[in-house]
Amino acid sequence: MDLLDLAIYTLPPYVVAIFAFGVAYRVSRYIFMHKRAPVKRRPRPAPKLLIGLVKTFVDPLILGARLRKSDFISGLILLHILGVIPVIFLLGQHVAMFSYWFPPYSVLRPLSIPSSATSPALTLTAPVKPVSEMSWTYVESVWGPLTIVLNGDLLAILAMLGVMYKLGDKLWRAYRKIIHVRLGDFTALLLLLAILVTGFFATHHLPSGDVPTYRFVLGMHILLAEILVAALPFTKFWHFVFGYWYGKLHEWYDLKYRRGAL
Amino acid sequence: MSAWEEFSIDAVKAGARDAAGRLNSVLLHFVENCVSCALCEINCPYTPAGEEYGPVEKAEPLRKILRSQVFLAAKILPLLFGARLPRSAEEINKWAELAYRCTNCGLCYTTCPFGIHSGTMIQHLRYFLAKTGRVPTLLKMMMELETSGNILSAEGFSRVWSELLEKLRGLGVTFDRKGAKYVYLPSLAEALITPGAVIGTARILNKLGLDWTMPDKPLSIRAPIASLVGDSEAALEVTKRMIDYVAGIGASAVILSDGGYPYRFLRFDAPALLAKPLGFDVVHVVELLHEALKKGALKLKGADQKVTWHSPCQLGRMGGLVEEPAEVLSAASKNFVELESHGFFSKCCGGGNGVACVVTPTVEMFEGLLGTRIPISEKEKVFMDKLYKDMLIASKAKVDEIKKSGASVVVTACVGCVHTLHLASKAYGLGVEIKTLPEFIAELLPE
Repeated sequence: MDLLDLAIYTLPPYVVAIFAFGVAYRVSRYIFMHKRAPVKRRPRPAPKLLIGLVKTFVDPLILGARLRKSDFISGLILLHILGVIPVIFLLGQHVAMFSYWFPPYSVLRPLSIPSSATSPALTLTAPVKPVSEMSWTYVESVWGPLTIVLNGDLLAILAMLGVMYKLGDKLWRAYRKIIHVRLGDFTALLLLLAILVTGFFATHHLPSGDVPTYRFVLGMHILLAEILVAALPFTKFWHFVFGYWYGKLHEWYDLKYRRGAL
Repeated sequence: MSAWEEFSIDAVKAGARDAAGRLNSVLLHFVENCVSCALCEINCPYTPAGEEYGPVEKAEPLRKILRSQVFLAAKILPLLFGARLPRSAEEINKWAELAYRCTNCGLCYTTCPFGIHSGTMIQHLRYFLAKTGRVPTLLKMMMELETSGNILSAEGFSRVWSELLEKLRGLGVTFDRKGAKYVYLPSLAEALITPGAVIGTARILNKLGLDWTMPDKPLSIRAPIASLVGDSEAALEVTKRMIDYVAGIGASAVILSDGGYPYRFLRFDAPALLAKPLGFDVVHVVELLHEALKKGALKLKGADQKVTWHSPCQLGRMGGLVEEPAEVLSAASKNFVELESHGFFSKCCGGGNGVACVVTPTVEMFEGLLGTRIPISEKEKVFMDKLYKDMLIASKAKVDEIKKSGASVVVTACVGCVHTLHLASKAYGLGVEIKTLPEFIAELLPE
């Protein structure tokens, strides 16, 4: 068994178990530490509260776009919106892999994006599908000409630029002895960068096209991604699953629903 | 050696344990879900004074403490997760410098993409710092005086309060009257800094024909001073005294004219601290005015001056009264203008959360009032002087907005804001009149 077999066939149940334990650990603390605050809420009209809810999520984006453009472009647009989110969830290879592990995921097949700008053209004109029970062609993709932009190569490069910007920003702050920068910031970003780089290399059969190297690089890519999933509940990556959603909903509840600050 | 210079590892450990004991689900979210994106910096009034005063940076010491106490992964890998206690007096002093550059204005809360309120964490950090001997002397003195319940034992305070009572008697105010529906609770700080707000509120309440009374002695220096240093136990003691007083009168509501942290504390924080409802409503005088104007029960003489509204953070963003004061002022003056950052994202004056209370000019003001020198160590003096310089930098954005508005009168509703704006006005030559909302409206009441 090589690294690729280990990553695809052996490790997933362990990764899921660690992830589930971490989620249970973190969520249960919120339940056990909850303290009721018997505060009389200030009544406000429901439509205003609804607008307030949308604004709670949108306001930081507007403020970031206005007052911190570099972070907005690099951190939000490149790293999150164009980078990791579509690449993780919609890249064709990922959709295929996730569908293998979790068959209902295949519902996203029509939305999957190709690995490069040219690959959908090739599959569109290709006479045959790959010989596999799981294969499908990008003819089914809904993105059409948008794949010039919506393709793994470009989005991964944008995501890498976003990660490198964040790394540079952290390094610059660490150099100026800013105390909120910690070692964990670097390990998290480096892990993300390593996943992106190995994924990019595997897609392009780099550094060489021979099968053992390809299997090693792809195996490393999947292994690193599994480390990220297992570490997710114990690291700052948790924001993606829980922190962001809980935080903004709580802020809305506290300031707008309860205090009536609209 | 004063407490400010000392370093005791036992006190540090005890303080860390106490801070960890206060963890609840909301504080847990604030502590563990920050990804250090530092977007909060863009709206914090203290960032212009230095990048190290951004909210994410100021809250980090508390995160370090709590990670070292309660987080599993951080306990196993402290270096990776940034979990540790302070190691020297210099480090704690630096943390005190950070903690007292926060006005708890809530702008970081609404700017953070994750809804993290650094101000709350910094209050807990102040509590930890108090446990290690870092409480500004004036705050500590006031806190002890307030907790003792004998606020008027200081001759200077007693004199100011008596003068105010004389004026109130002239308006027909009755004191400690059992059975009144409303209790008006002015603080000693209002008598000292914004006496016009107390007189104005009394006139408004009389005009509205409310059945009200007030205590003949202040129940707080400024609704619990202890909450400014995060000392919930001491704050609870003062709160209970206030609750007992209102219960003794049998009132169904408390009226406040100070729209600073006393309003937020009594309206929202106190029930949470007590873990039960107060047993009466808490309203700010602007709510009564807003309602009366809306119903047509009150008509005002129109003001001619160009007037603007500085929304106190604890009344607006954190207290929920964002639009009401502006609507009252619009009804009072055709020349009402909004500041550039009005509404939910209104900028802070830079002196809230006790900051303006512990700077050198305020200490000197209190020395004059009390007729005695407040014993402050050299180290603390340096801390206070630097804080004053930074406070003026923090208030500059608000000063610029006021200048830009062209207003000749700035109306606000918070003792801290009035005091800070006076200091900033003097420093930057603002040249405007600063009034409290009750004071301004009372002048427009029909005969």
